[in-house]
Amino acid sequence: MKNEIVLEVKNLKTHFISKKGIAKAVDGIDFVLRRGETLGIVGESGCGKSMTSLSILRLIPSPPGKIVDGEILLNGKDLVKMSNEELRKIRGNQISMIFQEPMTSLNPVIPVGEQIAEALRLHQGLSKRQAWDKSVEMIGLVGIPSPEKRAKQEPFQLSGGMRQRIMIAMALACTPEVLIADEPTTALDVTIQAQILEIMKDLQKKIGMGIIFITHDLGVVAEMCDQVGVMYAGQIVEHQNSATLFKNPLHPYTQGLIGSLPKLYEDQEELQIIEGTVPSPYDYPDGCRFAERCPFAQKMCIEKQPELIQYDEDMKVRCWKYTNQWQEESSSREMVTQ
Amino acid sequence: MKTTVIEKKAILQVSELKQHFVLKKEVMFQAKQVVKAVDGISFDLFPGETLSIVGESGCGKSTTGRSILRLDEPTEGNVLFRGQSLTKMNKRELRNIRGDIQVIFQDPYASLNPRRTIRQMLEEAMAIQKVLPPNQREARMLELMNHVGLRPEYLERYPHEFSGGQRQRIGIARALAVNPKIIICDEAVSALDVSIQAQILNLLKKLQKDFDLTFLFISHDLSVVRHISDRVMVMYLGKIVEISDTASLFKNPLHPYTKALLSAIPVTDQTQRKERIILVGDVPSPINPPGGCRFHTRCPFATDLCQKEEPTLRESADQHFVACHYAEKLSS
Repeated sequence: MKNEIVLEVKNLKTHFISKKGIAKAVDGIDFVLRRGETLGIVGESGCGKSMTSLSILRLIPSPPGKIVDGEILLNGKDLVKMSNEELRKIRGNQISMIFQEPMTSLNPVIPVGEQIAEALRLHQGLSKRQAWDKSVEMIGLVGIPSPEKRAKQEPFQLSGGMRQRIMIAMALACTPEVLIADEPTTALDVTIQAQILEIMKDLQKKIGMGIIFITHDLGVVAEMCDQVGVMYAGQIVEHQNSATLFKNPLHPYTQGLIGSLPKLYEDQEELQIIEGTVPSPYDYPDGCRFAERCPFAQKMCIEKQPELIQYDEDMKVRCWKYTNQWQEESSSREMVTQ
Repeated sequence: MKTTVIEKKAILQVSELKQHFVLKKEVMFQAKQVVKAVDGISFDLFPGETLSIVGESGCGKSTTGRSILRLDEPTEGNVLFRGQSLTKMNKRELRNIRGDIQVIFQDPYASLNPRRTIRQMLEEAMAIQKVLPPNQREARMLELMNHVGLRPEYLERYPHEFSGGQRQRIGIARALAVNPKIIICDEAVSALDVSIQAQILNLLKKLQKDFDLTFLFISHDLSVVRHISDRVMVMYLGKIVEISDTASLFKNPLHPYTKALLSAIPVTDQTQRKERIILVGDVPSPINPPGGCRFHTRCPFATDLCQKEEPTLRESADQHFVACHYAEKLSS
């Protein structure tokens, strides 16, 4: 059961069409999510990680956005081709989502218990009474003390950490197969973040859902995820087990990203930096999208875009450095210099 | 280095600073509601050092920065800058002194006027503080742009034309324009991506060296604080719970709150992960903070004494101050 694939994304492309041109926010993403597994998607602002998650739930505002290519297979069924009616049955039921700021996703004037119960009545066909009881049970499950009392309260009466717990309770009420968590702890303080992460891990063990964890925080990735996809300029540039990623990052961007983190238990005079800035999604270069900032870039990097290649078992990287052509080019250059 | 810092005379002395905000006045049977954002803190800032204030939301770290500059009038206490009392100054004197103490905020976009070019902003700052005669300002502006790593032609541009990292550089340039002695950095790198954050941190360190600046660095991010500070001060609900040099704070935290805070930080190297202390519950409301030690409601080691008596900030190890009744017992 555990290794069964629940979600498979193939060559997903989400573009935004405006007067300025076409912004390729997500530009050919592939990944596989298995039951009980956590896949992290990391990257900096504008890399397309949130757009990927919104695309999976078909929540891209359209127009201007559009999924122009690719498949999103949930248990083999393609979400891209589904009607709104069919999607409504899946959202909040088989796939749920938690966002960064719970206050904007909760209805401010309805008691939180009722908001959770609503999803249960809608998707699971429970009666009002049953749904309320289940809702209170869920609130208890995410570690909120005196759940009966809290269920009757409105969002503003709860703290930020509690609201995020309510969001988790709501997302998990219908025991989804996939949970998409988009920066779920970014707005929280570290001690509260630690609590929330612990609860998510705990509930994953109980329910067995696959989690797609979207974050910019590499520390959180290291703690939460089994697999990690590193995104840059709308593409996955590296995909590895999180255990090996931090020891052995392959892509120069990943190396730069890890290097630029201030270390908590190490003295550093100066931080490593990545020169330059991210290219505009309206106008990506022909070659490797990181070439302009890459310390290793050669002629071939600027000319032609590398594919995401299998470097080793469970290790994929989008970089010319790890191809045969690279070695040929390097050796021919050595011959010239000799 | 540690000892030389201490022998120097403090450039900024904060004593018994309190910042209370009245939410509701006393009416009939309802009690007065007062947020005690900062509740009696004292510390010294020495020339050339970086002192960080860390803590979670609502601990009073930003309010401390604002009270020092009197952006909010402090309720009580005294702040001395080179022996002059900031709290007793009139408006004009205060304006003059603000040239010596500058601030950089978290969101540079919100603190840059969108309808002014960079040139106009720098010009204005210099004019108000009368740093240079007008004919020398042009050269100074070019110099500033160079210091913060921006191209000179950007002087003619507006804030919206820049990325987040570049805007932060503009904020820094503007602060530097008036030759300050102290810069208060309030979450100055928190909104930036890690690769950009690294650029700005390196820049701040370099500028500190080049211009002999003193930083009061306010942040919630402990890895950033570890990297940039000489000394660190940890706040919880308006009080200082621990203050020490960076190395000993991270190696040997004494207060249970500091320990929990350090252990809660997710790290990429799982072998260095400390045993996690998960605190129960949320930070109590600063409106009616708990009596005794303010941390006792969440502290795993709290006793009756902690509920009754507030611990004072005392020197537990060499230059390592902590406000906990049981600091020594807990660390042994």
